[in-house]
Amino acid sequence: MIQLESVSKHFDGKRKVTALDQVSLSISKGEMVSIVGASGSGKSTLLNLIGGLDRPSSGEIIIDGQSLTKISDDELTKVRRDKIGFIFQFFNLLPTLNCAENVALPLHLRGWNRKRTEQRARELLELVKLGQRLEHLPEELSGGERQRVAIARALAVYPPILLADEPTGNLDSHTGAEILTLIRDLHHRLQTTILIVTHDMGVAESCQRTIRLRDGRIIEDLRR
Amino acid sequence: MILLRLLSWPYVRKHKLRTSLTIAGIALGVLVFVAMRTANNSVLYGFQQTVERIAGKAQLQISSGETGFPEEVLEKVQALPEVEVAVPVIEANLNTGRKGQGNLLVLAVDMTGDRSLRQYEFEEGEEAVVDDPLVFLAQPDSIIVTREFAAANGLTTNSKIRLETMDGPKQFTVRGIMKSGGLASAFGGNLAIMDIYAAQKVFGRGRTFDRIDLKLKPEISLEAGKAALQQALGPGFQIEPPSSRGKQFEAIAKLFGIAASLNSLFALLIGLFIIYNTFAVAVAQRRSEIGILRSLGASRNQIRGLFLSESVIMGLVGSLLGIVLGLLLAQAMSGYISTFLSEIYGVAQHTEEIAADPLVLVSAALIGIATSLAAAWIPANDAATADPVKAIHKGAWESFTDQESRLRLLGAVAFIIVAALCSFTGGKSGFRLYLGYLSVVLAAVMLTPAAVKCIVRLLRPLWRWLLPVEGALATDSLLQTPRRTSATVAAVMLSLSLVIGLGGVAAASYRSILDWMTAALNPDLFVGSSEQIADRSFRFPPEIGEQLQKLDFIDEVQMVRSARVLYKDTPVMMVSTSLESLRRRIRPKAVAGDLEKAYREAARGEGVILSDNLALQHGLKVGDIMEISSPSGVLKLPVLAITIDYSDQRGALLMERSLYIEKWKDPTVNLFRVYLKPGVAPEEAKRRILERFAQERKLFVMTNQQVRDYILRITDQWFGLTYMQIFVAVLVAVLGIVNSLTVSITDRRRELAVLQAVGGLRRQVRQAVWMEALGIGAVSLVLGLLLGAVILQYYLDAIREDLAGMRLDYYYPTRIALLLVPTMLITSFVSALWPAETAVRTSLVEALEYE
Amino acid sequence: MSNSNARTRSSCRRVFFLLLAAQALAQDARQIMVEVQNRARSNSQHYEGVLKVVDSKSKVSEKRWTYDRIGSAGQSKVILRFTAPAEVKGVAVLVINHPDRASDQWMWTPSLQRDRRIALQDRSTRFFGTDFSFEDLEERDVEQFDYKLLGEEKCGESVCYKLESRPRKTKVSQYSHSFLWVEKERMIILRIEGYQRDRLVRRIQYSDHQKVQNIWTPLLIEVEDVGRKSKTILRTDKLQYNAPMKEEMFTLQALRRES
Repeated sequence: MIQLESVSKHFDGKRKVTALDQVSLSISKGEMVSIVGASGSGKSTLLNLIGGLDRPSSGEIIIDGQSLTKISDDELTKVRRDKIGFIFQFFNLLPTLNCAENVALPLHLRGWNRKRTEQRARELLELVKLGQRLEHLPEELSGGERQRVAIARALAVYPPILLADEPTGNLDSHTGAEILTLIRDLHHRLQTTILIVTHDMGVAESCQRTIRLRDGRIIEDLRR
Repeated sequence: MILLRLLSWPYVRKHKLRTSLTIAGIALGVLVFVAMRTANNSVLYGFQQTVERIAGKAQLQISSGETGFPEEVLEKVQALPEVEVAVPVIEANLNTGRKGQGNLLVLAVDMTGDRSLRQYEFEEGEEAVVDDPLVFLAQPDSIIVTREFAAANGLTTNSKIRLETMDGPKQFTVRGIMKSGGLASAFGGNLAIMDIYAAQKVFGRGRTFDRIDLKLKPEISLEAGKAALQQALGPGFQIEPPSSRGKQFEAIAKLFGIAASLNSLFALLIGLFIIYNTFAVAVAQRRSEIGILRSLGASRNQIRGLFLSESVIMGLVGSLLGIVLGLLLAQAMSGYISTFLSEIYGVAQHTEEIAADPLVLVSAALIGIATSLAAAWIPANDAATADPVKAIHKGAWESFTDQESRLRLLGAVAFIIVAALCSFTGGKSGFRLYLGYLSVVLAAVMLTPAAVKCIVRLLRPLWRWLLPVEGALATDSLLQTPRRTSATVAAVMLSLSLVIGLGGVAAASYRSILDWMTAALNPDLFVGSSEQIADRSFRFPPEIGEQLQKLDFIDEVQMVRSARVLYKDTPVMMVSTSLESLRRRIRPKAVAGDLEKAYREAARGEGVILSDNLALQHGLKVGDIMEISSPSGVLKLPVLAITIDYSDQRGALLMERSLYIEKWKDPTVNLFRVYLKPGVAPEEAKRRILERFAQERKLFVMTNQQVRDYILRITDQWFGLTYMQIFVAVLVAVLGIVNSLTVSITDRRRELAVLQAVGGLRRQVRQAVWMEALGIGAVSLVLGLLLGAVILQYYLDAIREDLAGMRLDYYYPTRIALLLVPTMLITSFVSALWPAETAVRTSLVEALEYE
Repeated sequence: MSNSNARTRSSCRRVFFLLLAAQALAQDARQIMVEVQNRARSNSQHYEGVLKVVDSKSKVSEKRWTYDRIGSAGQSKVILRFTAPAEVKGVAVLVINHPDRASDQWMWTPSLQRDRRIALQDRSTRFFGTDFSFEDLEERDVEQFDYKLLGEEKCGESVCYKLESRPRKTKVSQYSHSFLWVEKERMIILRIEGYQRDRLVRRIQYSDHQKVQNIWTPLLIEVEDVGRKSKTILRTDKLQYNAPMKEEMFTLQALRRES
C-alpha cells in the first residue's frame, strides 16, 4: 500500500538538516503501524511525505501503486483527497464551522451535492459517536470530541490510508485511550491502513507494527 | 526600545508586504497633502516671483481692472510732486506656438524711461547691444528676449521670431538679449520686452496702458503716496504695492486650496483605516507573544508603548516617503495648475521650481505620524489590556462584542441625528454644512460592520450559486472577521463615495453648462482673436464688427467686450454687449428677477444682470446697488436680475455695451457673436469671413460646435483634478483590498493549509480568495454608491455656498457608478491575484504546525 | 566765555569777507557765461549733423540728422529729424526749452504714426544710443545755473577760464555740478565735464571752431561717456544762422504733420 525507496529529506536553512536519511519502508494494506522516536528524529517528516504534504529531496514514494515523485501539485492533492485522511495533534478544525460542516468540508471540496454530503457527514459523526453534536462549533466541544470530529473528517471519503500525527498528544490519558480505541475500532471495521506518529509507548504498543526512528533512520522495525 | 528591536523588527521583517502596505497607506495621505499644498504654494510663489521681478523697484502699481486706462493718467501721475518715477506698462501673455515653450509674457514698457525702475541687463555687457535704441523704438517689430528664451529657440540679435498678434502672426526682430537673472528670470525666462507704443498697436490697445509702475520720492511714505495718487486719480483705480497682486491671485487659487485640503483629509482618513486594520491584525497575531511578555513582567504601558512606537516609526517612514513622492507629484501638478490658471484666468505666471514650504513638510510629517498613532491607538490598547492567559485564545478579537455593536449603532444614530439637524434647521452655512458632511461620513463608518454583515449574508447565496464551495468559504471568511472586513470596506466605501460625489459634481456641472450653452451660447459663429475665446490679450476695433455686419450672409453681429472690472476692489468679469440684441437671441434661465424687463432696463444702461455665482459670492440680490469702479468714476448700478451664466468661473456681470464705452472709453471688442441668415452653412460662412479679412487681419472664426467643444474641454481640464481624485480612490481601493486580503491570508494560513490537506485543490483555494476579494469589492460598491448619493448633495451644497457659487442640480452620476461596478470588481480581483498565489504557495507542513 | 565770543566774532568776519569775495567771483563767472551766451546768440540755427557712435569695442555706427532751432537762450525750440540710416529715417524729436524749468521733449516715430512724450524723469538716459543724454540736448541757459570762477588754466594753445556750474533749484539735472572751460580770447566753450557728486560722468569737447555768420561755432563736438567708455562724435555741416523759420514748425502738430 505504501512504499518508500531510499527516501531522504533535507531542510535547507543556515545549517543543512537531514530529517530523513535514505529511508526505505513498505507497509501493506490494512496494517496499523506506529512510528516512534525522539523529537526531531524525522517521524513527522516521514508522515508528511507519505501524506503528500511535502516532497522528498530524493527517493521515491509509492502510494497504492502510484508514485508521488513526478506528479503535479494538483495530482498530489488528488491522491491526498482520494487515498489519505489526516488526523492532527491540534485537530485543525475550522473554528467557524460546526461539526457537520467541518466533516463535510472535504466532500464539498470534491463537489458532492448538499444532500449526499449531509448524509455522509451525519453517518461519519455517528461513526465517531458524535451523532448528537452535528450543529456544535468546535469551541463548544471537549478535546476528545474535537479529535473525534477531526477523525470523522479524515474518514470523509473512506480513504484507504489514515495518517495520524500525535492524535492523543494534546489529550489527557483517559481521552487519549478513548481516541485510540476509536481508531483501533475503525481499523478493525474499515480495514484502513493506519500510520500513527506518537510519543506514547502505550499507543505504539497497541499497534501491530512499530517503527522506531533516530536521526532520520529506521533503527527498529518491530512486528508484534 | 529594546522591545522594538527584539520583537517588532523581526515581525516587520517577516511581514514585509504588510508593513509596506501600511506605510503606503500613510504615504498616500501625506503625499496628497504635500503634493496639493506644494503645488499650490509653488504656483503662488512663481506668480509672486514674476510679479516682483517685473515690478523691479516699483513701489506702487496703478491699474484699473483689465480694461486699462487712457494715457493721460500717466501724465497726471508723473506730474504729482510725490512721484519720482512713473512708467507705463502693458503686459500680454502670448502663445509662442512653439512646442514645449508655453507662453511668452510680453512686457511692454517705455524704453526711454523705464530703466529708472527696472534693471535691464543686456547680453554682452553693453546697452548698445539693443543694437540701436533708436532703431528699437523706430521699428515696432523690435523685441528683446532673455538669454534663456533665445537659447531655447535658437535666437540671436536680429533674428526673427513669429508671434501671434492682432494682425495675425507677425515677425518680430530680436533687437536685444537680456542677461539671465533679475528681471530676465521673471516668468521662468519666457519674457520679452517691447516698446509700449508698439505694443498698443500690435495688441490693439488703442491709447491705453494696462498699468503704471511708480517709485515715490524717497521722503514720501507708501501710505502718503497712495493717498496722494487716490486723491489725484479718483476712484476706479487700484493703487497697490506689487506684493498685493499675490493676494488677488490667492483668491483665485482658493478653490485649489480647498480641493487640496479635502483630498488630503480624505486620503489620510483612508490611510487611518488601513493602519488601523493592519495594527489590529498585528496585535491579534502577536497575542501569544504579548501573553508571554506580560507573563514575563511587561507592564501594560510597555505593551502599549511597543505598539505605539511601532506606529510612530511607520508613520515617520510613511510620511517621509509621502513627502518625497508628494514633492515629485507637486512638480507635475504645478505645471498643470499654471497652465490652467493662465488659460482660464489669464494670470501670467510661471512656476519655475517647487516651493517646498518647511511648514507644510513638517505639518505633513506630523499629520502622518498623528494619523498613524491615532489609528494604532485602539489596537495598542487592546493589546495592553489583553488578559495574558486568554491571549492565547484566538479569533475572538475578530468579532465584535454585543456591547461594541450596540455602541456603534448608537453612535451612528447620534451622527445621523446631528446630520439631520444640520440640514433641516436654518440655512446651510459653511460650518453647518461641513459638520453635517462629517456626521454623515462618521455615521456611515459606524454603520459599516452591520451593513457588511447584512450584505454579505445576502451575497452568500449568490456567491454559493456561482461557486458552491469557494463562494461559501469566501463569504464565511468575511462574516467571521467583521472587524477586518469592515475596516477595508469602510476605506473602499469612502473612496467610492468620494468618486461618486466628485463625479456627480462633474456630471452636474456638465449638464448645467450644456443647458447654459443651449440657452445662451447660440450664435452660429464666434469671431475672436485666438482659439481661446476667453483670451483677452488682443482686442479689435469696433469697425471690424461693422464690416462683419455688412456681409450679406450675416444676420446680426453682437460685439462683446469682456474684462475684469473692479467691484469692491475685487476684479469681477464684466461682459458688455448690446443687451437689446441679446434679449432677442438668448433665453437664459432666470434665478431671480423678471428677465425680460431686466434686459430692457439694462439695455438702457439702468442696471446690470448678474450671474448666479457672482451674486452668491458677493451676497447680492435683485435690487441691490453695485458700485463698480470705472475710469470715469464709480458707477452705481442696481442688480436687475440674476441668471445662470457660466461665462466665467467666478461669475460675470452683464452690462450694456454703450454704457461700457461711455464710462471706460474703450470701444474695443474681444469677441463677435455672429448670427447667420437662415440657410447659410456655418462652415461656408466661416470660410467667407476668413476670406474677407485675409488681407487685413488675422481672425479666428469658430463655429458654435467648436466653441462648445472648447468649453467642454476647458471644463474637462477643470475636472482634471476630479479624475485625479478618482484615480486616488481606485488606488486606495487596491491598497485596502490587497492589505485586507494579505492579512486575511496570513491570518488563515493554517486554515487554508487544512483546506488543502483535506483535499482542497489549489484552484479551489485560489478561487476562495478571489471570491473573498470580490465580496469585499461588491459590498464596498453597494455601500460606496449609496453613501456617494448622500455625499454628492453635500458637495453640491458646498460648491454653491462656499466655493464657486455654482447652482447645480442634483444628478446622480449613473454612468460613473456603472463604470465603477466593473472597475471595482476587476480591481478587487486583480488585488486578490497575488495574495491568492501566496495562499497556495505556502508550505503546507509549516502552515499546519502550530504557530 | 569772552574768549570764545571773540573767536566767533572774528570767524564771522572772515566768513563775511569770503562771501564778498565769492560774490565778486560769481559775478565774474556769470558775466563770462553771459558773454559766451551773447556771442553765440542767434535767432535760428540750422545744420545737418553726422553722428558717429564709437562703443567700447570700437564698433562704429552712424546716423544723420537735420537740426533746426528757433529762438535762443532759454526760449528756443529745436527739431531734430533723423535722415539715416533707413530704419530710423523720419524719427523726429521736438525740444521746447523753458527759461525757468526743464524742457519738454517729444519724439515722433513714423512707423507707429504717433508721438510720445519723453518724461522729465528720463532726461538722464542716453539719447538713442548716442553718448548724449536727453538733457545734453537742452540749451544750457545761464539763468538756470549758479557759476563760480575757479581760475584760469591753459588749454591747448590758448588760455581758459575754468568755471564750476551748479543747477538752480528749478532746474532738473542729472549733474550735481559741471566744470566748464571757456577760452578767454574768443569766449567760446571748449570743454564741459559733467559730474554726479564726485564722479565724472560725461565729457564734452568742442573743437574745429569756425566763424559762421560772425559766430564762432564748433563744427565738431565729441561726447564721451566716461563710465561706458564710448564716445559720440557730432560733425556739423551746412550750418546756417538766422535763417527765416516759422514758429508753427516747432509744434507737436507740425511734428506729426511733417513726418
